[in-house]
Amino acid sequence: MRVHLSERRLAVLLLIPAAILLIVFYYYPIVQTLIFSVFDLDHTTDWLHAPFVGLGNYIEVLKSAQFWLSMRFTLYFTVVAVFLEFWLGLGMAMATFWVTPKLRGLLRTLIIIPWAIPQVIQASMWKWLFNADMGLIGDILVKLGIVSKGPLFLVDPALAVHSVIAAYIWKTSCVTAIFLMGGLAMVPQHLIDAAKMDGARAWMRFWKITLPLIKPTILVVLLFRVGDGLRVFDIVYGLTGGGPGTMTDTLSSFAYKFYFRFVQFGLGSAYAVVTFILVFSIALYYIRKVYPHFTFRG
Amino acid sequence: MSKAWRQRIHVLTSVFLVLLIGVFTMTPLYWIVNTSLKEPGTEFRIPLEYWPAKVSLQAYRDVLGPNFRIQDAIRNSVIVSSSVTVASLFFGSLAAYTIARLRFKYKIQSLMFMQVAGMMPAIITIAPTFVLIRSLGLLGKLPGLILPNIAYCIPVVSWLMAAYFAALPFELEDAGKMDGYTPFGVFWRVIMPLATPGLFSAGVIAFLGSWGEFMLALTIGMGVRTMQTVPVAILGFSRNFDLQWAWVSAGVVMSLAPIILLVVVFQRWVIRGLTAGAIKY
Repeated sequence: MRVHLSERRLAVLLLIPAAILLIVFYYYPIVQTLIFSVFDLDHTTDWLHAPFVGLGNYIEVLKSAQFWLSMRFTLYFTVVAVFLEFWLGLGMAMATFWVTPKLRGLLRTLIIIPWAIPQVIQASMWKWLFNADMGLIGDILVKLGIVSKGPLFLVDPALAVHSVIAAYIWKTSCVTAIFLMGGLAMVPQHLIDAAKMDGARAWMRFWKITLPLIKPTILVVLLFRVGDGLRVFDIVYGLTGGGPGTMTDTLSSFAYKFYFRFVQFGLGSAYAVVTFILVFSIALYYIRKVYPHFTFRG
Repeated sequence: MSKAWRQRIHVLTSVFLVLLIGVFTMTPLYWIVNTSLKEPGTEFRIPLEYWPAKVSLQAYRDVLGPNFRIQDAIRNSVIVSSSVTVASLFFGSLAAYTIARLRFKYKIQSLMFMQVAGMMPAIITIAPTFVLIRSLGLLGKLPGLILPNIAYCIPVVSWLMAAYFAALPFELEDAGKMDGYTPFGVFWRVIMPLATPGLFSAGVIAFLGSWGEFMLALTIGMGVRTMQTVPVAILGFSRNFDLQWAWVSAGVVMSLAPIILLVVVFQRWVIRGLTAGAIKY
């Protein structure tokens, strides 16, 4: 049997399965979490029979010192991680264009391997590297004579905060590099050559030609990296579990504790909604900045 | 400076850069491989052995043994990730075809609808998804992991496939119609075969995305050991057997080997796929 469909009908039909999946597993849960967040859900998710508390959960969250600590850590984490992964990533991406053609493939392989490693497994690996007595990093620091004894990377509060960031950017700087490689590949070689002819030095060529030309790519990459930083969960959960105390708890990892350890779905949802608002505003900014440039036929 | 000297300096700095970046990205992996090859218990010997004094495969035998059974986790992850890859490639390509090539008023809005979903933090969806999966009776079962993960992969797949479809010549549709294909036939028999490289990149990215998915796997798994995926199993190793890092390392090596191989083999497609999004704008 042959069914003849008009193009417009076909268009709608092809979108339906994806739309249903996204509604069921993204949009409906988001709305449901917003609903959860205005009910008092103590050891239950049955919001139909739970007391309505309006903004009560939010007020309780905003009043708690815990919230501001996790908010502060999440923002600090994001700012430091994005800064480091951007410059490391840009350096690695530029290196792939600088090296001799024979080494280019090898270098790309070296950069892409960390990208493949799941964040939780990465957390396990770094937990061992950061082991105070038998960890590689402490051992190297001792051998270099920087410290006399392996530091308590994951126990000392100030160190733990930065250890989580270090473990995180090991992979994400490679992710950033891969995206920036795409932008750098778009820079026309003749512009670089022309600047070379005019006697522009390497760093001048970089600041005046390469950087302005890959600005759109940089913007997109940074927005995605910021979004990823604000919602960070896996690496924290795997590496420190939020510890010592709650020093390295992010908004996401705190919300998760409220959900599945304290079984407080209302309060957990309020935390989750705050995370959502932060990430969603990044997403909206991205849409406003980038979508006007899209054109499609038809 | 003569040309030959410049050449030599270029080679030297290149080698230096490759070594520098190689040390940065490979050191953690080297240390895990090193630890996994030590006799369990000897990884705590001081001074640290930068290469095992006696190479032993005992840790590998142990993690394959009855106490760990890493092979179960790998099998579960393979089942989940391959089902998710096939399904999300199919549904994502359908949607991408509409966005990239069909006459439809709300293309931009549809793309936005999908991409915004893809940017959402997992924490905003996890509690209701948990409730939903529980009411479907799928807690602690693999389909309870597969269904949401298909949705999680659709934004990136449809994004990459839309970019790929949009780059194919638009005369193909006319030619296909001339050959008597229905509009769907044009998509399925003409466009899809030409999009195989795009399907490869999107497929590898979807496979790895679902392979590494953690929050849902942790929540839906409910600690049922026989249905743990790799990330949850490895986390369990490093929590429960905190003091035996040879075992954890052997588990990590065994679970990373297949995906690292996958990425190295398909490197060209992966890079092309990942950079497609950035290049578009």
